[in-house]
Amino acid sequence: MALELQEVTKTYGSGAAEVPALRGVSLQIRSNEYVAIMGPSGSGKSTMMNIIGCLDVPTTGRYVLDGEDVSDLSESRLARIRNEKIGFVFQTFNLLPRADIFHNVELPLIYAGMRPGKRRSLAREALERVGLGDRLRARPNQLSGGERQRVAIARALVSQPSILLADEPTGNLDTVTGGEIMSLLDRLFEQGHTVVLVTHEAEIARHAHRIVRLRDGLIESDERQSEPKRGLA
Amino acid sequence: MRIVQQMIESVRRAGAAIVANKLRGGLTTLGIVIGVVAVDTTMTAVNGLANNFARSVAVLGSDVLYVSRMPWVFQGTFFTFRNRPPLTVDEAEELERRVESAVAVNPTAHTFKDIKFRSTVLENMDIVGTTDRHMLVSSAVPELGRFLTAPEVRYRKFVCVIGSDIRDRLFEDIDPINKTIKIGRFSYRVIGVMEKQGGAGMIGGPNFDAMIYIPIHTMIKAYGGERRDFDIAVRARSQQALEDLRYQVIGEMRKIRRLSPAEEDNFTINQMDTLVGMFNNVMGVVLLIGMLITGIALFVGGVGVMNIMFVSVTERTREIGIRKALGAQRSTILVQYLCESAAICLFGGLLGLLIALGVTELIDRLLLPASISPPIVAIAIVVSIGVGVVAGLIPAVRAARLNPIEALRYE
Ligand SMILES: Nc1ncnc2c1ncn2[C@@H]1O[C@H](COP(=O)(O)OP(=O)(O)OP(=O)(O)O)[C@@H](O)[C@H]1O
Ligand SMILES: [Mg+2]
Repeated sequence: MALELQEVTKTYGSGAAEVPALRGVSLQIRSNEYVAIMGPSGSGKSTMMNIIGCLDVPTTGRYVLDGEDVSDLSESRLARIRNEKIGFVFQTFNLLPRADIFHNVELPLIYAGMRPGKRRSLAREALERVGLGDRLRARPNQLSGGERQRVAIARALVSQPSILLADEPTGNLDTVTGGEIMSLLDRLFEQGHTVVLVTHEAEIARHAHRIVRLRDGLIESDERQSEPKRGLA
Repeated sequence: MRIVQQMIESVRRAGAAIVANKLRGGLTTLGIVIGVVAVDTTMTAVNGLANNFARSVAVLGSDVLYVSRMPWVFQGTFFTFRNRPPLTVDEAEELERRVESAVAVNPTAHTFKDIKFRSTVLENMDIVGTTDRHMLVSSAVPELGRFLTAPEVRYRKFVCVIGSDIRDRLFEDIDPINKTIKIGRFSYRVIGVMEKQGGAGMIGGPNFDAMIYIPIHTMIKAYGGERRDFDIAVRARSQQALEDLRYQVIGEMRKIRRLSPAEEDNFTINQMDTLVGMFNNVMGVVLLIGMLITGIALFVGGVGVMNIMFVSVTERTREIGIRKALGAQRSTILVQYLCESAAICLFGGLLGLLIALGVTELIDRLLLPASISPPIVAIAIVVSIGVGVVAGLIPAVRAARLNPIEALRYE
């Protein structure tokens, strides 16, 4: 089991301003699954992804990642777990604008305390895997949206995390570029990665093996897809 | 290992951030620049003055007592000293006979006269009446010719020995030896030039290089001597013997002046210690002013840097969120921003050091010998880094404490 949510709730604010974003969610995701999370706006998708990604902790309930209960860890431990086990891909790419893409990809390894020689070769390798091996010194603003998202994916997988988390990875891209990004995620899944992605679009969700639908902070449905879509859209 | 890696990364990022905000960083560091210039210049000035003073002390001798009517540094009012009888040559000679443990006893008196060589006139110069024993109580030696001899003093010869400034101003390139100059209405033959001494002129002390030495009896004969105020220099065999000598001199002077036990001394024993005390006071004031300017400048600079760091943290909130999502620890972010702040200040400090080098060069040329020593460079570096760390602390803590989700959502 890669991860398990047990009756997880998340409430923002307190007293009269209390907002229940998650109201008791239980979910198991095995290693090398390809899961899409769908649901209307405000249904709690990002909140759940934040908890899965150890950026936040549940208000109640348990979250077990790789067999370790991480529902109640210190900030420092959570940072360590994010560094080692989670690879994030964001809708808005979230690259460091002032640094070149090589440094962007290298960064998680720097935080892991890896020696320069080793981390440089890993960073180069990751960028080669996403087809940007010849643009190492480019800055994010010199790249197209699709290329930026590929850098983000390279950065997410450079530390060989247990799970790749993608919150609307194609949200800021056109259909063609979005399709390219999806085929890249498909390939990473086929190479053995666990992929969890959030999306609004049914077309994108069709790449996954399993679709979890949220509504008002609860899981509405959890279905397998027998024939996931492959390749370009 | 991990922390070292992260620090290297932080310093690299800090450098990049400074380059990205040259102007803003440059302006904010102005306070740091001024602070470092102030601290370096103060230290340099104090060093220079101290060296200069040490040379004067060497000239006057730290093993010499001066019996005078007035103390060099007043305690109490002038009136308590005004009615004291002046010291006389007779008293000096009497003292010399009585104090056998002294190396030498030498009376001097000062008068101020215009001096003239050909058409050049120097007004109101310090004329020192002294004896051949001057050579025994002072470390100064003639660089040209010789000093006064005992017969010249005894037989009231019209000869003089001039200080190096006088030579420069009166003779320029001409060889002064055996030339005749006028001191007041009388003509003197120049027999020697003293070597340059530098001295306490800077802090209002005597400038030995602008003095002219003539035999003391010539002075009395030419310019009168009845009410002239003499100083009597008494040199001890060693610095250790100085205190004993002091009591002995006080005792003998009281006997010479027939003071009853109830009467207070009507003369003063001056020694280098008094000047050292005065010098330390002057230095204290210089240091205080320097430190005040430094403190204010560094404070203003520090506040500026703190402000720029707050701006920087706010501007890069999202970046901090990204770093945290990728696994940066609080301490990593903290160190990153402290390094950045320190680097900005260090940049200012190095700039200040450069300016201080220029200022020191100027002081060296115009006022007194001065140079920037390695400790001063070290102070500049340590102070600027220190201000950077202190000024960056609160912004850095704020950055480190940012909630990653909120930081990532920041527009
Ligand atoms: N920091 C917060 N403080 C208060 N309320 C919050 C906070 N973050 C989320 N919420 C609320 O929690 C609920 C779920 O938000 P969430 O961002 O998880 O929705 P989502 O499914 O990701 O929506 P979208 O599709 O628009 O991204 C919403 O009602 C939102 O307003
Ligand atoms: Mg969302």
